[in-house]
Amino acid sequence: MVKLTSSDGQEVSVPKEIACQSVLIKNMLEDVGEADDQPIPLPNVSGPILAKVIEYATHHKDDPPLPPEEEAKLKSSEDIDEWDREFTNVDQGTLFELILASNYLDMKGLLDLGCKTVANMIKGKTVEEIRKTFNIQNDFTPEEEEQIRKENEWCEDR
Amino acid sequence: MSYGAQQSDLATTWAQLEAGIDPIMNKLSDGLSYKSWMDLYTTIYNYCTSSRMCNHNDEPINGSSSNRGANLMGADLYSNLKTYLKEHLDALKVKADQQMDEDLLTFYTREWKRYTTGTTYVHHIFAYLNRHWVKREIDEGHKTIYDVYTLTLVTWRDHFFGGGLGTIQPKVMDAVLKLIEKQRNGETIDSSIVNSIVDSFVSLGLDENDSTKPTLDVYKQFFETPFIAKTEEYYKMESERFISENSIIDYMKKAESRLAEEDNRVQMYLHSSSQKPLILCCENVLIRNHTGPIQEEFQNLLDQDKLDDLSRMYGLLSRVPESLEKLRLTFEVHVRKQGLSAIEKVAESAQAAPEGEEDEEDEPKGKLAASAAPKKAGDVDSKTYVDALLAVHQKYSSLVETAFRGETGFGASLDRACREFVNRNIVCEKSSSKSPELLAKHCDSLLKKGSKITDEHEVEEVLNSVMTLFKYVEDKDVFQKFYQKQLARRLVNQLSANGDTEESMINKLKDACGFEFTSKLQRMFQDVALSKDLNDQFKEQTARSAEKSDLPDFQILVGGTGQWPLNATTTKFNIPDDLLKTYEKFQSFYQHKFSGRKLNWLFHLGRAEIRANFVKQNGKIPYTFLTSTFQMGVLLQFNAAPSYTFAELQTNTSLDPATLKSALFGLIKSKALIVSNEKTSDPETRYEINKAFKNKKTRVKVDIPMRAEQKAESDETHKGIEDDRSMVIQAAIVRIMKTRKVMQNQLLVTETIDQLKARFRPTVPAIKKCIDMLLEKEYIERMEEQRDMFQYIA
Repeated sequence: MVKLTSSDGQEVSVPKEIACQSVLIKNMLEDVGEADDQPIPLPNVSGPILAKVIEYATHHKDDPPLPPEEEAKLKSSEDIDEWDREFTNVDQGTLFELILASNYLDMKGLLDLGCKTVANMIKGKTVEEIRKTFNIQNDFTPEEEEQIRKENEWCEDR
Repeated sequence: MSYGAQQSDLATTWAQLEAGIDPIMNKLSDGLSYKSWMDLYTTIYNYCTSSRMCNHNDEPINGSSSNRGANLMGADLYSNLKTYLKEHLDALKVKADQQMDEDLLTFYTREWKRYTTGTTYVHHIFAYLNRHWVKREIDEGHKTIYDVYTLTLVTWRDHFFGGGLGTIQPKVMDAVLKLIEKQRNGETIDSSIVNSIVDSFVSLGLDENDSTKPTLDVYKQFFETPFIAKTEEYYKMESERFISENSIIDYMKKAESRLAEEDNRVQMYLHSSSQKPLILCCENVLIRNHTGPIQEEFQNLLDQDKLDDLSRMYGLLSRVPESLEKLRLTFEVHVRKQGLSAIEKVAESAQAAPEGEEDEEDEPKGKLAASAAPKKAGDVDSKTYVDALLAVHQKYSSLVETAFRGETGFGASLDRACREFVNRNIVCEKSSSKSPELLAKHCDSLLKKGSKITDEHEVEEVLNSVMTLFKYVEDKDVFQKFYQKQLARRLVNQLSANGDTEESMINKLKDACGFEFTSKLQRMFQDVALSKDLNDQFKEQTARSAEKSDLPDFQILVGGTGQWPLNATTTKFNIPDDLLKTYEKFQSFYQHKFSGRKLNWLFHLGRAEIRANFVKQNGKIPYTFLTSTFQMGVLLQFNAAPSYTFAELQTNTSLDPATLKSALFGLIKSKALIVSNEKTSDPETRYEINKAFKNKKTRVKVDIPMRAEQKAESDETHKGIEDDRSMVIQAAIVRIMKTRKVMQNQLLVTETIDQLKARFRPTVPAIKKCIDMLLEKEYIERMEEQRDMFQYIA
């Protein structure tokens, strides 16, 4: 078991193989070696997010490592299984924090899942809808907007 | 955030990082906490991520990347790290410059270990930079950007190790070579030092195009090349000195142990890829440079049967394959000489030995010897001869197997040598068919009842060794003829010791020469089996008839003329009255069974057992005479009268004088008959039954052949072979001409030899003679315009 400490000081004990799904933690343990009581500080991950991350890692602990060509196939954003879909059914804030945490912890599976989920949120939406979804202010001038439309005319639906 | 703000951000970040990295690089043994490690990683992460949003309007730090969407932070961290590593190594170099030789090696390996361990940490701590900024740079094709660990190796290579002046590689290498030389001189060294130097050289080999792929360039260039050169120099000196001061045998031992040592050196501390070039170099200097003197020693070793040294020599020279050919030739000549001289000895002692040991039958010697032809070189005992050949073959084939590791080239040399001395030695001087004849005779003595070797497995073994010699015999047809003859004799006289052994020998011959070679032999066995049934049936039939009691016991062997090499005799023979009935009964029984077949009675091969009632051993047990059919014919006469003249006997039996004489020979010798005078075949010479006959045994063999007959038989067989060969050659020529239609003389001769060489080696004159015969018989003709061309006449 290893102890993990979140940015807000929450301490969680998890089995080593689950913690090591984070390449960051894995590398560090490899370098420093295992020290019994020393907690591993994770200054960029909050308690609730860490809990989510551990939930994900526990569920996926037995996933076999994928060979590169398989991995490429799974790039499609359609390809999300039931559990993962349910897992990412969270508010936008949490979702983005999960993405950031997985990037920090170097957990490729979780990072991919987060990005796929965001991609699915964009898919099929108009510009206005996307702005609304992600709460983005339109900071283009009308001229700029016209310019961009012209450049991208070729990919518009007809 | 302004550019300046970012700079100060970089300054604080780097200050934090350097404070963390420095202990890792220098005092890692003090330990590192999870927290410090995590803080370093997080610092880099924060630096790379926090600046991103405000960065895209800034000056591009590394040229091209700014126009491509989001700019990644990290270039300045990377270049700061690079500078840090350079400075770190510069400091190290100052210390290294003060060291020499082994101290330098110890220093180098210690520092190398410390450095690589430290940089592994740094690599992991910089993982975020690797994953994003470095990855992007490499993806965009920047050859000079490496992942952090590779960067640390490149920096070590370029600023510490180096190839040029002021770097420590030449000094390190010099020290390594000195150390290895020490070990070669027999001193003990710490080979783990060399091992880690090699590891470091190997690790520094980095592919310029793809830094993730290792290459051996650095190791090859800076380690292997000077190492091999040094090795060559060292062994060149050593071997030249050693060979001039010591014997070749000792030199070979030295070279062998040196080669093993160098092979071991690769296992111990070199990169496995060096095995080939190193061993090749050693082979060149230690063996190839000295092949001449080593090869010259070969004959001495052969003469003295020095198995270990021969084995060692082969082991060494087989590393320089082209040097073996000379040994093979020497070996071939040597084996041939050994074979020839072994046979010479046999021939000599045969000439010196007393007469009459050729036959192991229990015949009395003495007077008989006088009638035999004086001994010639050709009259050697078959067993001694075969054993002598085998001894030479066995000795050298085991040499090939052990010392020469069964190498095929030496095997072929052995075969050539054996073929020579088996077919052409002093015993075969007159005719090359002596070898197969003696070989066949040897088989006969092994397969016959009364052979000295009785154990089945042992016989089998000896027969196997006979087969090894048989392989070398060129005139296999001669062997076949003699074997067939002797087999016939064994079967007719029921002298075969063991049916299974006979069969296994025939199978061996079949394996060696094919079905055709043994088909006649096999059919002879079938005839014997069929005759058994025939006898049973005949016995059954006669048992049913009334007059069985007056008939003597009777057994017959009926063989097909084609497969049995038996000739009818020219002499006439009156079947004695006591047998006539049986004779007629069987004749009609057989004709009834197989109408259309003609029975030729070969009385001269028959045998009989006669109980002599006129005289008893110790007055109690009557003697039994084991006779030939003809002798029985003679003896039965004496039932009517106590004595006859030669002429009377001849009239009564109808035998021709020569046959009668040889029948009487055994009867006289065994003293069954008393002869009145020395001239045994004079018509007036009188023969009387010996009423006072006495013998230790109750069964007395009186069927004793005259020596002259045996001799004649052998000559006859040889003559038969000549005739057969002529037929075989003619058949071969006709076969060839039938397919080719037209053929030139020379080619025809070659082709004929080629076709027949498995059975025998026809001479060119013999073939010419056969061609003439075929021209005469008009199977072929000479072509009009080209006289040396033949044409097949359909």
